[in-house]
Amino acid sequence: MIDRYAYATPLRTLDPAHKAGLSLSALGLCLVLNRPAIGLAVMAWMWILSLVWARHPGRLFAKILFAEGAFLAVSVLGVAVSVHVYPFSFGITRQGLDAAFLLFTRALGCAAALNFLALTTPWVDLLDLGQRLRLSPLLLDLMTLVYRFIFTLLESLERMRTAQESRLGYSGWQQGMHSAALLAARLLVDAYRRSTQTQIALEGRGFTGALTVLPNLYRRDKAAPILTILITISLLLLYWL
Amino acid sequence: MCLLELDNLHFAYPDHPQNALRGVSLAFPPGQRVTLIGRNGSGKSTLMLHCNGILRPQRGSLRLGGEPVTYNRASLTNLRRHVGLVLQDPDNQLFSASVAQDLSFGPLNLGLNASEARARVQEAAELCDVTNLLERPTHALSGGEKTRVALAGVLAMRPGLLVADELINALDPWARQQVFAILDRLVQDGKTVLLATHDMDVAFGWGERVIWLEAGQVRMDNRADEVAQAFAAENPAFRGHVAPRF
Repeated sequence: MIDRYAYATPLRTLDPAHKAGLSLSALGLCLVLNRPAIGLAVMAWMWILSLVWARHPGRLFAKILFAEGAFLAVSVLGVAVSVHVYPFSFGITRQGLDAAFLLFTRALGCAAALNFLALTTPWVDLLDLGQRLRLSPLLLDLMTLVYRFIFTLLESLERMRTAQESRLGYSGWQQGMHSAALLAARLLVDAYRRSTQTQIALEGRGFTGALTVLPNLYRRDKAAPILTILITISLLLLYWL
Repeated sequence: MCLLELDNLHFAYPDHPQNALRGVSLAFPPGQRVTLIGRNGSGKSTLMLHCNGILRPQRGSLRLGGEPVTYNRASLTNLRRHVGLVLQDPDNQLFSASVAQDLSFGPLNLGLNASEARARVQEAAELCDVTNLLERPTHALSGGEKTRVALAGVLAMRPGLLVADELINALDPWARQQVFAILDRLVQDGKTVLLATHDMDVAFGWGERVIWLEAGQVRMDNRADEVAQAFAAENPAFRGHVAPRF
C-alpha cells in the first residue's frame, strides 16, 4: 500500500536524493536534539509535507503514525514503570514518565521522517539512490530480486492457499497447521524453480554477473533543499529557545 | 543465408536417462513464422534452450550466420544478440522493479551506452505497445502486459530469431491478439519467430512452417498444411482443431 502511494504522489519524479536528504536530516536532528518537542515538531513537519507537498490524504500519515505509535507505546511502558525486586516496589515515577515520553517522541519523530521518505519514494528509486551512493552492487542486485520476488511469491502463496482451502485444508486447527507446513515447503520449491527460470531468462538476455540497468531520470526542485534548511532552522530554534 | 542452423544435436539431462534431443537438425532462414509442436517431454524446451546457448549440445553443433558457435563468452554474447529467448511465465523473466529498467537490461549487456540503450528501450516499447507502462512497477502489470514487457525486453536486443516457449498459453484471446500482432510485425521486418505451442489452432493456423518433435527427434518439418494433414491423420480427435490460417 505504501508503495502505491509512493508511485501516485507528484513527488515521485523528484530526485530521491533530495527526499532522502530532507528526511534523513530531520531524522538526524530528532536523534541529536534530545527533547520531546523536537520529535513532535518533526512529526508535525512530516505530516504537513505529506499533506501539502506530497498530496497524500490527511488521514494516511496519521493512520500509519498511529499504528507505529501503538507499538511504541507498548514498548516504552517498561521505561515508564519501575519495578524493584527487593524490597519489592512497583510504580510510576516522574523521571520514568519523562524518559518514556522522550523515547516515545524521539522514536516516533524518526519514524515520521522515514514514513515521509517511504510514502514519496518507491523502492526502485531507493535502489537507484543506493547505486549513486556506491553501495555494493551485489547487495543492490539482491535487494532488487528480493523486492521483485516478494510479489511473485505472494501470488504463488495466494494461489496455493486457495487450492488448499478449496479442499478443506483449513477447516480445523490441525488441518490448518498441516496445510500451512505443506504450503511453506511447496513455496520453497516454487521459489527455487522460479529462481532457476529467472537465471535462464537473465542468461538469455546476456547476463554477465551484474543486473545492470539504466538509471531513472528525475527532476530537481529547489523547494527540497529550501525545505530541508527551513526544517533544520526551525528544529534548532525550538531546541535553543 | 540461414540465421541459425542446428546440426545433429544430441542432449540428455543428467537426471533423465532418456535423451532429450536425439540428432535434431534444423535451419532457420529469415522471415519465417515457425511453430514447434510435440507432447510434453518431447524436447521442445530443451531445443529452445540450445538455440539461445543456455544449454550446450553433448554432440552436434550450432552455426550462427554460417559461423560455428564456440561457447566462449564472445560467441555466446553474439548468439544471444541474434537469438532472443522468451519463456512462458513472464514473472520469471521480469526481475527489475520498473518496466523501463527491465527493458534496458539486454541492451546494456550488449555493451551499448546509456543513450543507445534508451533508444532501444523506446523502440522495443513502441513495438510491443508498452510505452505507457515504462514508468510502472513490474509487479503492477496484468498478465498480458507482463508478457508484452517480457517480449519487449528481448526485442530490445534486436534479435534476428525470436524463440518463444509457450508464450501465449496463459493469455486471454485479446492479449493473444496483441502478441500475435507483434510477432507478425517482426516477421514482416524479416525476422524469424519460432513459437512452441500446444495450441493446434495456433500451430497450424499462425505458423507457416511447423516442426513436430517426438521423443527428442524431428518427426516432421514442413509446410503447416502438410504437417496438419499428417497430424490429423494420426490424431483424429484433433481433426476439427486443425484450422486454416487466421
